Amino acid sequence: MMSGLVESLLLGLVFPGIGAGLVTILFMIWFERKFTARVQRRIGPLYVSKRLHGVLQLLADGLRFLFQEPIVPVSVDKAGFLAAPILAVVLAAAALLFLPAAPGLAAIPTRYNTLAFLALMAVTPLPIIIAGWASDNKFSLIGALREAFLNVSYEPVIFVSILAMIILYGTVDATRMVEAQAAVPGVIANPLAAFTYLVAVMAATDRPPFDIVFGEQEIVSGPYTEYSGILFGYTMMRDYLNLYAFSIFFTLVFLGGWLPARSLPLAPLIVYVKSVAVMALLVTFRSIYCRLRLDHALRLLWRLILPLGLAALALSASLTILHGGWLPHA
Amino acid sequence: MLRLGPGIIARRVGAEGGYDVLEVFIGPQHPASGHMRLIVRLDGDVIVSVDPDIGYVHRTMEKLAETREYVRIIPLLERMTIIDSCNVTLPLVEAMETLLGVEPPPRSVYLRTLLCEVNRIASHLYGLGIGSVMLNHSTMYMWAFGDREVWLTIAERLTGARLTHTYILPGGVRRDMPQGLRDDIEKACRYMERRLKEYEKIFLRNPVVESRLSGVGVLKASRAIELGVVGPNLRASGVRYDVRMTGYAAYGDIGFEPVVGSEGDCLERIRVRIEEIKASISIIRGLLKQMPEGPFFSERFTRLLPPKLRRIVEEEGRIKLPGMYVRLRPRNGRVIRRGEAARGEITYYLEARGGFKPYRVRVVTPSARNVVLFRELPPGHRLMDLPAIYASIDYFPPEADR
Repeated sequence: MMSGLVESLLLGLVFPGIGAGLVTILFMIWFERKFTARVQRRIGPLYVSKRLHGVLQLLADGLRFLFQEPIVPVSVDKAGFLAAPILAVVLAAAALLFLPAAPGLAAIPTRYNTLAFLALMAVTPLPIIIAGWASDNKFSLIGALREAFLNVSYEPVIFVSILAMIILYGTVDATRMVEAQAAVPGVIANPLAAFTYLVAVMAATDRPPFDIVFGEQEIVSGPYTEYSGILFGYTMMRDYLNLYAFSIFFTLVFLGGWLPARSLPLAPLIVYVKSVAVMALLVTFRSIYCRLRLDHALRLLWRLILPLGLAALALSASLTILHGGWLPHA
Repeated sequence: MLRLGPGIIARRVGAEGGYDVLEVFIGPQHPASGHMRLIVRLDGDVIVSVDPDIGYVHRTMEKLAETREYVRIIPLLERMTIIDSCNVTLPLVEAMETLLGVEPPPRSVYLRTLLCEVNRIASHLYGLGIGSVMLNHSTMYMWAFGDREVWLTIAERLTGARLTHTYILPGGVRRDMPQGLRDDIEKACRYMERRLKEYEKIFLRNPVVESRLSGVGVLKASRAIELGVVGPNLRASGVRYDVRMTGYAAYGDIGFEPVVGSEGDCLERIRVRIEEIKASISIIRGLLKQMPEGPFFSERFTRLLPPKLRRIVEEEGRIKLPGMYVRLRPRNGRVIRRGEAARGEITYYLEARGGFKPYRVRVVTPSARNVVLFRELPPGHRLMDLPAIYASIDYFPPEADR
């Protein structure tokens, strides 16, 4: 009983929970900035910790956020304004609790972890809309509306892509999904679903070319315009924490999770390395693309990516019928 | 003001053209507004009207010019477009020379034209960089600004200053071309041509960029002429008009064909600028090939120097001006001179009525003529198109405000 609690706490706070998440965010933002700088023939962050190539820059920024006064304008809806950024981070962190890091090893062990994860991740855009509404600012309001528009467009794609894999593996348990990939990883069995999932994730986490909600050039910072100090830090953290969560999920569903290892010290490490690789791939698009227009992005998601997701669903269904299920003992 | 519960502001400005509109103030303290304010009225996501509110960087340059001696006007007025300072002062200096009756030596005319084209390339790269970061394409932004540095270095080696060169003076130019610069300019040209191909790949033919720019903010040729739009914005609509065609400075000797587009949309305007960079490179090559030898400053002033100083001027290739040069006194008269700055036609009117200072200096800048496009192009487009249109106009607020 006691050891079970300690185990849950460790899994929730260290890996795949918030602890590893925060460290990964620090590293990933640094990597993103360094990579972009390299493409753009710059040096990138270097001033803080020169010997470590500026990797501590984000830590310094975070400390600065902590010591800055979070200004709460008089006209905002206080409860919503203060709760939204914290809620956004907490929801993503809570979603992480359901993801297994090794066979049967999750902070909240359940057979329905895939559904629980997706349900919680589907709620994460709501705090943004609350923030935009509560800020009493036109730019925030427009940003929140953009998030609402995008949300109804990328969410079905994520669900359809994962549904395709659920049909293929015949289970909603992520642990068994990983085991089902022993022979062929999901990304090879159904590459269409992997592609549509990644595109939708980029829209969900505000990555270029889908960074429409942030929209600096039109709406300053979108829903986050009025935020300062650590509250702004939370809003920044939110997108990257979501990216982290979605990347771990991608690793579990498409990249074979902890395989080939199954035992303790190695299995979580493999999950982590694969997830970081996925994140690293997604952050590189910043240096290639500019921002899509909102209506173009919606058109892309509804008219191209969603039909592709449905095609992935059909592919899974036909594979399952032909193969008689993917799991050997399903 | 209508309050929908706590937290939401919905200021109804009333109906405009049958729409309920929301008024959004973009600028002057906005990441992408520049030194101006755009009052945007929105119907949902669609722009109903845009009102450019200019004048935030008005520095009374025309009035200040009346209080200064002729030579001291040049450093003042080049600050209205510091990224294009040679182009914007060339017509002014030519107007002064007309009134003074000074003929600049041919070599100095070539050197002026050379700096003008270097300025034009740097200025177009600046516009391209600012324009691409308005679409959030940070790579193109950094590349353009990084490569602009090449041309600023060339300008610095020629004149001693990166931006505000004050290179051209009535009677010639301040410095002769330093040794070795000719080869470096050729190197810079080759480098730029190589880089333009990469720009094409990452920016102009990038599908996301194309979807943002093509078909957006279309300006018809007839409408462009009606509005009095100038520069690349005019030529992108298919109008063949460029002041350089009149052959002022050394353009007549080099032979010049303007870059003319056809579509008139945002993408075409940016494409025309990139083509103009190529055209400028070929003009620079022509100038270097045909550049005559000889003095770089008018004999009329250099012979006033003591012989020792005159020898230094000849050896070092940089002018030492006689003290009386500040007190030039042109004949009475009025002159209008035009030139093609990077953003379009710039017109000067100079009136002298005796004394050491002008009676009136009037300058009509290209940005002041192009600002009307903010009102003309965005209505009917989405809010996200506004930065794209801004990017393609290449508007420079300090130039318009003077």
